[in-house]
Amino acid sequence: MSSATDPTGTAASPPLPPTFQDVIASLQRYWADQGCVILQPYDMEVGAATNVPATILRALGPKVWRTAYVQGCRRPTDGRYGENPNRLQHYYQFQVLVKPSPDDIQGLYLGSLKTIGIDIERHDVRFVEDDWESPTLGASGLGWEVWIDGMEVTQFTYFQQVGGFECSPVSVELAYGLERLVMYIQGVDSIFDIVWARGDDGLVFTYADVFLDNERQYSAYNFEVADTDFLFQEFNSREAECMRTLEAGLAIPAYDSVLKCCHTFNLLDARGVISATERMAYILRVRTLAKACCASYLEHVAGTLPLGGGEGARHAED
Amino acid sequence: MPKTETLAFEIGTEEVPAADLARATGQLGGIVGDALDAARIGHGHIEVYSSPRRLAVLAFEVACETEALVEEYKGPATAIAFDDRGAPTKAAVGFAKGKGIDPDSLERRMVGDTEYVFALKHSAAQQTSDLLAPLLEQVIAAIPWKKSCRWGSQTALFSRPVRWLLALFGGDVVPVRFAGLVADRLTWGHRFLAGGPFEVAHADDLPGVLEGAFVVPSMEGRASAIRSGVAAIERETGLRSVLPEATLLEVVNLTEYPTPLIGSFDESFLKVPEEIIVDAMLKHQRYFPLYDGEGRLTNRFIAVSNGDPACSDIIIAGNERVVRPRLADAKFFYEEDLKRPLEHFVARLDTVVFQESLGSVRAKVDRLVALVEHVIEAAGLTAADAADARRAAYLCKADLVSGAVVEFTSVQGIMGAYYARAAGENEQVAEAIADHYRPRFADDAPPRSTVGKLVALTDKLDTICGLFAVGQGPTGSSDPFALRRGAIGIVNMLAAGLPVKLVPAVDAALEAYGTLVGDKAAVLEEVVAFFATRTKVMLRDADHALDVVEAVQAAGVFEPAQIIARVEALSAVREEMPDTMDDLAVAYARAHNLGDAALGIQVDAALTGAAEQGLLEALSAVESQVAGFLATNEYVEALKALAALRAPIDRFFEEVLIMDDDVALRENRLRLLNRFVAVFSPAADFGKMAKAPQ
Repeated sequence: MSSATDPTGTAASPPLPPTFQDVIASLQRYWADQGCVILQPYDMEVGAATNVPATILRALGPKVWRTAYVQGCRRPTDGRYGENPNRLQHYYQFQVLVKPSPDDIQGLYLGSLKTIGIDIERHDVRFVEDDWESPTLGASGLGWEVWIDGMEVTQFTYFQQVGGFECSPVSVELAYGLERLVMYIQGVDSIFDIVWARGDDGLVFTYADVFLDNERQYSAYNFEVADTDFLFQEFNSREAECMRTLEAGLAIPAYDSVLKCCHTFNLLDARGVISATERMAYILRVRTLAKACCASYLEHVAGTLPLGGGEGARHAED
Repeated sequence: MPKTETLAFEIGTEEVPAADLARATGQLGGIVGDALDAARIGHGHIEVYSSPRRLAVLAFEVACETEALVEEYKGPATAIAFDDRGAPTKAAVGFAKGKGIDPDSLERRMVGDTEYVFALKHSAAQQTSDLLAPLLEQVIAAIPWKKSCRWGSQTALFSRPVRWLLALFGGDVVPVRFAGLVADRLTWGHRFLAGGPFEVAHADDLPGVLEGAFVVPSMEGRASAIRSGVAAIERETGLRSVLPEATLLEVVNLTEYPTPLIGSFDESFLKVPEEIIVDAMLKHQRYFPLYDGEGRLTNRFIAVSNGDPACSDIIIAGNERVVRPRLADAKFFYEEDLKRPLEHFVARLDTVVFQESLGSVRAKVDRLVALVEHVIEAAGLTAADAADARRAAYLCKADLVSGAVVEFTSVQGIMGAYYARAAGENEQVAEAIADHYRPRFADDAPPRSTVGKLVALTDKLDTICGLFAVGQGPTGSSDPFALRRGAIGIVNMLAAGLPVKLVPAVDAALEAYGTLVGDKAAVLEEVVAFFATRTKVMLRDADHALDVVEAVQAAGVFEPAQIIARVEALSAVREEMPDTMDDLAVAYARAHNLGDAALGIQVDAALTGAAEQGLLEALSAVESQVAGFLATNEYVEALKALAALRAPIDRFFEEVLIMDDDVALRENRLRLLNRFVAVFSPAADFGKMAKAPQ
């Protein structure tokens, strides 16, 4: 168990910086106070918190929606067997989605940094252009990466399109990179040195205590062990299941199969068995499913898309 | 002097992307000026202000009233406009109605000897203050953006969400409306140093209020603040920095109150090739690297802060912590990459798409290896150079799957060279790998060695041929594979003497694609035409007359080097003997138009008179000279030999009646003209240079 140092290192007995779980709790409290539904993590593998239905599907249609949640994200190719201080195959994002985007959203966001102990007046906080695009989800948005003293800590995006459909009203998405943010707050140089929890008796659990073994094992599994025949089969089965589910007009469960396809594809990619040309074809297959789910969601859940038509349907064919 | 006021208009935004902000700043003054002019509102000079969170404009001496206007329209003659009894005719009524006035108010004026009616339309002066709100609303809509954003429940579009509007005419608010906002007299300062809002009493005060709120409200102001801060750091450290324009522009538009700060990183990172470190700092962090007196990269850098200068220590410490993992990544990737020879990466190139229909980069490498054999032979390389060219063609793409290049893409090729040296490849191979992407931008140097040039040509030609084969040649402004730049690079190398012929090389490149190319002959023709167009544009850019270029190209010359050499020669000869060349061009065009190709070029000497005889003899003499000079690429001499035909052809046209009634005579004379044309045609189509085609 390690102990963290205070980045400013001023007072004789400085207050200890917040733990990983303190930061999560503070962000949840803060966004709950802004009227957000605090969801618990979605129970499937996703590559980014954006991909969760509470964001991607709920960004569609006219209804007001506000949510915030922690999401574990899996990027099998980023695994480094726990040996790289900055890379993980599984990490956490704190996700906020507010529709329609409020006028003072930048101020609200900066307020959230203050609640987790960042004295923004004493740092250089910047909004640096970074437009977002997800080819697999047919989604795109305009926004920034937010820098604190040169470090990217959050993606800030106004969704313009999801599943090929124009978003109206527009949602704003904030995706905080929790590990980076906490490394910054705690002044540590390795993810694994992050203090996750600290008991009153001084017992400390670090990120390494919680996840180092997972990183080692999953890196080995993702890169060396995962059964590629099984994965290819799973991709095909999930694709078929998605289409079958859509035929029943069930966009939300159908979308789970899209997520499964994405993760299966990512694992195959990590196993190095997808050639360059195949990669394009797989991405296209996932996109087709994702767009179909979004169209179905608009029709059957949001209730805004007349059958076989509408402005959005044309975009979906682009 | 009519009364005037200053107009101030500020669009307050969330952070507009740096490049878009620069473009809009350049255009806003013109947009506002045009809008005022169109509304006939007199104004003085216009100043544009901008920062990441605002676009603002001040128009000085804006007239408080528009100019009154009298528009005058001439109508029919009075005699037609009014009948005998002085009543307006249909013509007058129609004219007056068309101008929106009463027929009785038509005025009469003499124009020359005739009296006409005139309609005078008076537009009264209007209060500028009544016009400004809609005018400024149009200004907002007229600012062009490459990408526009919607936000909230608004349908309005702007680069990023608009959060406030300030519009003042003198001391009065102009109620401009946009995206649910109404303008007032409030502005906002630096987000962290002086938030605001701040009230602006008068339009003239806006820049001062912004400066007082820690906003340097112009790009020039921020650029000069950054330059002087950088200069101070250079003086203090004795080091030199490099400020690439693109990065400087970004930094200028990422700050409202810039403060250059000096930071450092661990010296051990300097073992990593400096290109990666520079890429990591410039591209990823927008830091400026610092170099010592000998031009070597040091472990210090400049970061431009937008924060509170009083907190510089905290801010620079944060930046130093950010750069550390980046450089650690770079070092890690570099060291990992070095664990295997460069060759090892070639096989993994099958995971990188070259182009969707053309397969992977691995497949491209196979083609490069095949195509380079053609090029080696064409260039007649020594055995040693040939071996280096083969090796470089095989290895040139390998670094694309190295950790360092995956992470820092701008160092492609450069890292390949480092890894090649480390793996024991010779210097020429390493250099060729580094250079084969050249020229990477306009005015970039070509590869250093002949081997480097040949590998660059091989790579570019493969790309061009492949993309044309799948119908993905450049169109309009869309040229994602930079085929035009590639072609220009090839043409420049060929023109500088690289001993390769384009057309056979294109043929070989298409051959290497095998069955991926459908109609090979058609693609070949397209690619050669593409090169011809590039060559033409390059020559035109080098101030050669278009008719000269066309004359040379119309003679069936496809090799860019040959086109360029001949155009240069023809331009020079035309400059030296302009009259002769013009005369020959006219004669050629005339002969070409009269001649009848079906008759052939066999002239019967028995049917010729003195002038025809003279021309025929001159043609025989010149023909063999021209052929000889062209064979040895002595184009100037060939042209000068042709110049000798001026006198005989002029005499022929003067003395001989071509269209004789005697068919035999006529046809023989036409054969002579055909012969004349035939002697010219291997050199150039002179008809293209005839100023007045006959």
